[in-house]
Amino acid sequence: MTDKNVLIIGGGVAGLCASVELANLGIHVELVEKSDFLGGHAIGYACKATRNTCVKCGACMVEEKLKNAVSHPNIKILIGSQVQKISKNGRFTVNIHQKPQYIDSQKCNQCAICSDRCPSDGAILNGFSKNNIPFYGINPEKCLYLKDTSCHICRDECPEKAINLDEKDSKYVSQADAVLVATGFQPFSPVDKPYGYGLFKNVLSTLDLERMLKQTARVKTPSDNKPPERIAFIQCVGSRDSKLNHLWCSKVCCGSALRMARLIKERQPDIDISFFYIDVQTFGKDFEQFYKDVQEAVRMIRAIPGDIYETDSQKLKINFLDNSTHETLEEIFDLLVLSIGITPCKDSRELAGMLDLKLADSGFVSAGTEEASDFENGVFTAGTVEGPMNIPETMAGAGRAAWDIAKYLKPNGF
Amino acid sequence: MNNKTLIFGNGPCAHCIAENLLAAGKDLVIATPDKTLHFSLSVDSGSVEILTDTRLVSCRGSAGNFRILAAQNNQEIARRVAGVIIAEEDQRKSNFSQYGLKASSNVIPLFRMTELLLDASRDPGIFPEVKKVAFLNGIFQESNPVIAEEIMQSALRLQSDFNLKTYILTNNLKVAGNGLEALHRETKKAGVVYIKFTDTRPEIHSESDGSIQIEFIDEITSKKFRLTPDITVVDETVVPSNYAADLSRILGVDTDPDGFIQADNVHRFTVFTNRKGIMTAGPSRIIQARDDQIVDAGNAALASALLMAGLAAVPENRAEIDKGQCIRCLTCYRRCPYRAITLNTRVVVEPHACERCGICAAQCPRGAIHIKDLEPASISKQMTTGDTPREDAAFTPFLVAFCCSRSAVQAGELSLCMGHKLPPGLKVIEVPCSGSISFNHIFAAFKRNADGVMVLTCHEGNCHSEQGNTFAKQTVAQITDMFLQIGFEKERLAVQTLASNMGTEFAEMVSRFEANIIELGPSRLKKNQ
Ligand SMILES: Cc1cc2nc3c(=O)[nH]c(=O)nc-3n(C[C@H](O)[C@H](O)[C@H](O)COP(=O)(O)OP(=O)(O)OC[C@H]3O[C@@H](n4cnc5c(N)ncnc54)[C@H](O)[C@@H]3O)c2cc1C
Ligand code: SF4
Ligand code: SF4
Repeated sequence: MTDKNVLIIGGGVAGLCASVELANLGIHVELVEKSDFLGGHAIGYACKATRNTCVKCGACMVEEKLKNAVSHPNIKILIGSQVQKISKNGRFTVNIHQKPQYIDSQKCNQCAICSDRCPSDGAILNGFSKNNIPFYGINPEKCLYLKDTSCHICRDECPEKAINLDEKDSKYVSQADAVLVATGFQPFSPVDKPYGYGLFKNVLSTLDLERMLKQTARVKTPSDNKPPERIAFIQCVGSRDSKLNHLWCSKVCCGSALRMARLIKERQPDIDISFFYIDVQTFGKDFEQFYKDVQEAVRMIRAIPGDIYETDSQKLKINFLDNSTHETLEEIFDLLVLSIGITPCKDSRELAGMLDLKLADSGFVSAGTEEASDFENGVFTAGTVEGPMNIPETMAGAGRAAWDIAKYLKPNGF
Repeated sequence: MNNKTLIFGNGPCAHCIAENLLAAGKDLVIATPDKTLHFSLSVDSGSVEILTDTRLVSCRGSAGNFRILAAQNNQEIARRVAGVIIAEEDQRKSNFSQYGLKASSNVIPLFRMTELLLDASRDPGIFPEVKKVAFLNGIFQESNPVIAEEIMQSALRLQSDFNLKTYILTNNLKVAGNGLEALHRETKKAGVVYIKFTDTRPEIHSESDGSIQIEFIDEITSKKFRLTPDITVVDETVVPSNYAADLSRILGVDTDPDGFIQADNVHRFTVFTNRKGIMTAGPSRIIQARDDQIVDAGNAALASALLMAGLAAVPENRAEIDKGQCIRCLTCYRRCPYRAITLNTRVVVEPHACERCGICAAQCPRGAIHIKDLEPASISKQMTTGDTPREDAAFTPFLVAFCCSRSAVQAGELSLCMGHKLPPGLKVIEVPCSGSISFNHIFAAFKRNADGVMVLTCHEGNCHSEQGNTFAKQTVAQITDMFLQIGFEKERLAVQTLASNMGTEFAEMVSRFEANIIELGPSRLKKNQ
């Protein structure tokens, strides 16, 4: 054990993995997560195994890392927290602001009564894993008590007396010997594309679909809560797009979308699935086999549709150029799934300013890819804050960052 | 304590690992069948021994104390090391036969073009008669970003530095690598022409004079075209090094179906193998770009540092073989996924290698292997009926679910957390791996009044013990056969697969099972019915 302390900003896969590795080396970690829940985007993903066989999407590994992190004695977790100021004078002095923690993580026993009884939609947020502790959070924008004190049902009904709606925010000052930025990515917001996201009820993103599958195991059309008859996936939404100046492939969307398509086809075989794409990217060691399998289950169309229209019955009309007939076809789908890309984390710029990090033209943080330890300043990065990566790559990046930090700090016995 | 690490490899990844470990003051042995070491080491804080012209002969022992035997010029070398890192290079196989082509002066493999371009930085007149160059990329077989990058780089050089016309004929263009979409745009801007095939394939003819003609239908305009390149560059398949097969066999570590040293199993992320203390990094485990090799090197160094830190603790409650009972049938030796069982004068378990999966104990025909808290007797003590009867039915079945600790136990807890209602008579019995479930465990459950028994295991390819789930399925299948013969309802025993994040599916599975058992009624094996 050493008295070295590392501040990790961002509690996604990258931050969790790096925390666990450093903690196992006997280094203290303070893990600062902005949202109410650890795990980042990937904690919401569904298992996409088909034929009782794992397809190596990596989602369950995030569960495992989260489990290891929350039970590790060397890791101090601050959820709902953000770094406000960092100054360096030998060590880093970091000012952290933590939102009110209305639900006491020690007391909450995950009984769900608060969430069942709350009259305001979206006021009680829930996590995705049993290792999201507490499993619930209160959304100040929707909570009626925090608006006008008109309701306190959850507080009154909680059998564990775990809810205190008068909780105030708090401030922490942390002294750190190194800082790791692992703030992840911003999922591309498809509202600006002509696909009707946010406008038409039955247009979802792949992120929405991942969560739907994790929650309910089956896909439903939002407008009527019934299984759709026809689904279209559109790939590269916000990726490989020169108009947006997004000159990158997000690397993970083909895998995520095709695995979900295959899973849906297995669980709900009556659903027809079409898949619109530019190039299918290789993912996983078993790609060739999986790809053959999926081509039998899913209709693959190498074209990206133009504008989307909603019909009177809330279905979606798509126009696209059919390769085999060279004609423009018009087809109707019940559900449209947009395969959204990975874009730079919103807070990158601010953090880069605080920590002297370089931003690439793309907006991602330039990673230190060189072999030597060019990290004299004690600031490190890991995960998708550097650019698109899948879960295994993110884990590897976090392991490498943990090693670089260890080399930099040289704890006892090193 | 021995803190030496043995590295197999002679390329950039091995080099980077060595530098990393030396910088942390660790002692190294680097072994390679090559005659010379292809890199030199700049750090000298740890000690390093270099064994060239050396091949591995055997590896015994376990993490912290591997006993390595190697051969150098017919001489045996013995070393003791704490950990092993495999960091072999990959190699390339040219895909001539896929395209019906043979190598010639105008049909060349990709690596040759890369070499030519290296030379060309000195001699720009290297392509005198050449006007058109065609690259064939993943048309009949899926390519990967490593090859795609090399092709795009070469095409860009030819197009912009040599003023040649270049064509890339491809099915799916693999741009899922760092900076590859930007490179793709750059090549297009420079004038590289992409011809993409989806439903059709080009016809490639070699004429009698050796020239190449490529005929194809443009999929967008559906017009027929003919291309007559002066040079045709054929892509390559990335395969493991020649040494990989020997290494994996002798070290007892699993490979993927292509022979790369790392099973296709998410539990091996990032640089782990089935054997504790043996790591695998870089292109020895997966097709990998250069930048990622440096990342892997950091992970291998980290894994070896953590290994040393972890060895201090003496592992508890590992498998133990009762030598009075053991008949040396070697079932355990063959079945242990972690190679924890070694043969000396006796069959023994190496405690530092044993992961406590329980497969050996369940498989041993003599019941000679014991693991504390996993014995059928101690497990059956947990099988107590929940005493909340169902409100809506006369009969509340007692259901025993043997759940793998890594998957089903987690899924069950998530299920409750998500607010799903589980059968009131359900009893979850946590086991480290479903491979530890023997006949005796399942019979014990029925003897303890279970109306139904479920074995909930990991998906195929997701078992930390690789085969534990398969063994569990076999055990269930054999008992099911028995039930059929004796006329006992086989529906009372079921095996299903889950992952830790499948809370909803867990609830569905156990509820469906409960409904089946309610239909069947109480088990006839139940006492005091
Ligand atoms: C639709 C979709 C599907 C995908 N499917 C797969 C898949 O099947 N398999 C796969 O391998 N990969 C998949 N991926 C990629 C996967 O999501 C990423 O590899 C992974 O989430 C990266 O983890 P991360 O920790 O880098 O970032 P994130 O998951 O984004 O986590 C970053 C964390 O940092 C927090 N944070 C942000 N800013 C701050 C701040 N200022 N202060 C404190 N905390 C902050 C965030 O709240 C978040 O919790 C998918 C991606 C998408 C978009
Ligand atoms: S498919 Fe994904 S979540 Fe499911 S077991 Fe495999 S890696 Fe885990
Ligand atoms: S319990 Fe598992 S790991 Fe341990 S010796 Fe037996 S089979 Fe091997």
